[in-house]
Amino acid sequence: MIELHHVVKKFAGHLAVDDLSFTVPRGEIFGLLGHNGAGKSTAIGMMLGQVWPTSGAVKICGHDVQSNRSKALVQVGAIFETPVFYDYLSGARNLEILSTYTAPTSKARIREVVEWVGLTGREHSKVRTYSHGMRSRLALAQALLPKPELLILDEPSDGLDPEGIHEMRQTILRLQRELGLTILLSSHLLNEVEQLCTRIAVLQNGRKVFEGNVADVKAARGKVALKTNNFSAAEKILRAQNLITATAEGKFITLAAGRSTAEINHALVAAGFAVEGIWQHDQTVEDFYLNLIKPPAVKN
Amino acid sequence: MFLAQLKNELWKLFGKKRTYIGFGAFLLAQTAMLLAFKYTHWQSDFERLLTGNGYLASEFISVLTVSVVMLMPQIMLLMPLYATLVGGDLVAKEAEDGTLRMILSRPISRVRLLFVKWSAGIIFAFALVLALGLTAMAFASLAFPWKGMFVFLPNQVFGVLTAHEGLVRFSFSILFMAANACVMVSVAFMFSCFNMKPAAATILALSFLFVSMVMENIPFFDRYENFFITHHFKCWLLIFRDPAPWAQICQSEIILAAVSATAFIIGAMAFQVRDIKS
Repeated sequence: MIELHHVVKKFAGHLAVDDLSFTVPRGEIFGLLGHNGAGKSTAIGMMLGQVWPTSGAVKICGHDVQSNRSKALVQVGAIFETPVFYDYLSGARNLEILSTYTAPTSKARIREVVEWVGLTGREHSKVRTYSHGMRSRLALAQALLPKPELLILDEPSDGLDPEGIHEMRQTILRLQRELGLTILLSSHLLNEVEQLCTRIAVLQNGRKVFEGNVADVKAARGKVALKTNNFSAAEKILRAQNLITATAEGKFITLAAGRSTAEINHALVAAGFAVEGIWQHDQTVEDFYLNLIKPPAVKN
Repeated sequence: MFLAQLKNELWKLFGKKRTYIGFGAFLLAQTAMLLAFKYTHWQSDFERLLTGNGYLASEFISVLTVSVVMLMPQIMLLMPLYATLVGGDLVAKEAEDGTLRMILSRPISRVRLLFVKWSAGIIFAFALVLALGLTAMAFASLAFPWKGMFVFLPNQVFGVLTAHEGLVRFSFSILFMAANACVMVSVAFMFSCFNMKPAAATILALSFLFVSMVMENIPFFDRYENFFITHHFKCWLLIFRDPAPWAQICQSEIILAAVSATAFIIGAMAFQVRDIKS
């Protein structure tokens, strides 16, 4: 559904996106991660034909966005952070206005979408009276109007309260489950990405530094938590026996290649330590992301 | 589809309160002008001028005469302000608010979007001028009778017309005023297509018109007056000359249409290559 091939974007000499390539197949929820200014919104802008790439090619639904934008975006819906509408008009009027930029849309379709997002009864109120959550639902409604196959969500939970974030997450899952949409999600909320996405790409300073499955990230060999009566003494014993390669935060150990937690336990008990607990600490996407983008340690 | 898009663009334009600032300001200004004409020596000066040229003043101080008197300062001062205000908003305000990004996530081409917006701006210009002309006549009819028409602008126009001929010329005059407003909207629209704030687009358009007017009035530039668009804005008054200088008027109107089209094309070219970011 989405193909980026060696895309580069420069703004007045500043490299915003550097040689970015990835593909998102049909039916996938793909997460785009990165710090502020990493190039996520610029990449999304290029997918929607709002930002012109300096070089490279972007294809949406098989059509080149630069040369055939109209065909590429026919079945694409998009939501941006902080949804903005014509506040002085009603929600229904906003939907009517936005729908005419794609194709003629019946009033029945607008009603159907309004009902789907749960705005029935408020669609004729002026948008200026809407809460942030209602605006997000209206943004979703406008994105769903053209019966999209691809939904591009740029920080859709931005500014929402925890309840709103949960609701948005459930809605995204529902969209994929019920409508079979392909979804590209850019978000700062790493646990949201972990719960929603099947695959992720991480951008740092405009470059892609990782692309892979969320399941693989979580299954990656991580740290082992160790609870004992004397962690520092236990660390010395384990290092002396080449059972571990590193420790962290006074409670985590990293096993040496080919070693198991059973061996650790055995070595510590044999050395007279009281082992209160030893367990595999599952890596979250957040752990993975923070490790990936943390600056290299400065050596003196 | 174009008509549906245009209808929605008009909904957006006329749904905003600031769109009506111009209409409101014109109503206030017209009331003030009417009172000033009626209750100061302005009316007696007009009567003296007519009498001095051999006309019966009471036959020409009429609805049509007063309407033009009321319109003159408004067309020169207020209309550029409100036309450029709306023209400058057309694209830049949507870019500033963020709604443009949402529109451009849809498969509409940028040129088509601009054409829809520009068309809405042109309709606004016509609506503004039509409202202006009709309210001027309505206000004037409250205090003056329906008689012959007299239009005077020093060194430019001295027109004495029958009521019927006056109404025909007044209708043409409204049309030419609308053409002027279209040029003002188009110039502001052009600046609005560049990456700038709506206020900047309005100020640049006003500056452009102001510089044109100042240069046109510098004696050195007399021989180049055709190069200044404000020179061509005078058609709405020249139509009251007897006989009307149709060749000159047609030439000016063609030039104004060309300026509007050029402004649209430059704006569209700038907008086409622009990156739209939040």
